[in-house]
Amino acid sequence: MRELIPAPLPGLDLRRHYGHFQSPAIRAGGLIFCSGMIPVDPHTGERLHGTLTSEAHVIFGNLKLLLESAGSSLDRLVQVHALIYDSIEYDVLNRVYRQYVANGPPARTVWSAQIEAAFKIQLDVVAAA
Amino acid sequence: MSLPREVVAPPEPVLGAGRVLASAAVRGGAFVFVSGLTAVDPATGEAIRGTTASETQRILENLELILEAAGSSLERVVKVNVLVHSMLEAPNMNEIYARFFPEPPPARTVCGARLPDGVKVMIECTALSDGDR
Repeated sequence: MRELIPAPLPGLDLRRHYGHFQSPAIRAGGLIFCSGMIPVDPHTGERLHGTLTSEAHVIFGNLKLLLESAGSSLDRLVQVHALIYDSIEYDVLNRVYRQYVANGPPARTVWSAQIEAAFKIQLDVVAAA
Repeated sequence: MSLPREVVAPPEPVLGAGRVLASAAVRGGAFVFVSGLTAVDPATGEAIRGTTASETQRILENLELILEAAGSSLERVVKVNVLVHSMLEAPNMNEIYARFFPEPPPARTVCGARLPDGVKVMIECTALSDGDR
């Protein structure tokens, strides 16, 4: 089974707002594969540029909405790819990150990359369904 | 219980050529994991360097061959990671990309990265294995 997980709020439909040819998430084989999450207003889709910290808070908020709409949660993350614009912000990432993965953190890889629309962070995650 | 892990032989040997340290695709559990693909001619195995759009086209054609050899298909892809040499080129990739995948499209992450040997696009994916839609 391969099943679409639709956007729980209209702002999280990046295909509709930005033409990205992707589903918000797909459920398959007992896992939920999420598309790369960027900091957008979950109601309007407006891009919310800010500091890495503020962008990360928005992303985790949106990720919580998306995973919970699919019957999962932030506690069920199994793997996280955290893309940041500059590895100099690694410690900043960790300060905000630990607020969301308090118990038994998921596997994680962090690297620096160029992120769309010059955002400072993007999270690419897999969760248990 | 131990689940099978199986290296998938590519349909055209050249799609696996030069892959000394990575298989083109490996089946494990319910999934097929495909290595990051760059544009190569499936007849000769030669690297193709073109535009972001033309490299995307070639990669996805080859990906379809590799998935089918693994008993999967583009319809069963669940997640795609696309690396482009510049995010300014992401729309050029996206336009070609949209022609290949059926509804609903897979989850996807696109980022800009430094790629080796003048490569403009690299695409890796995870798909459901055979027998399961």
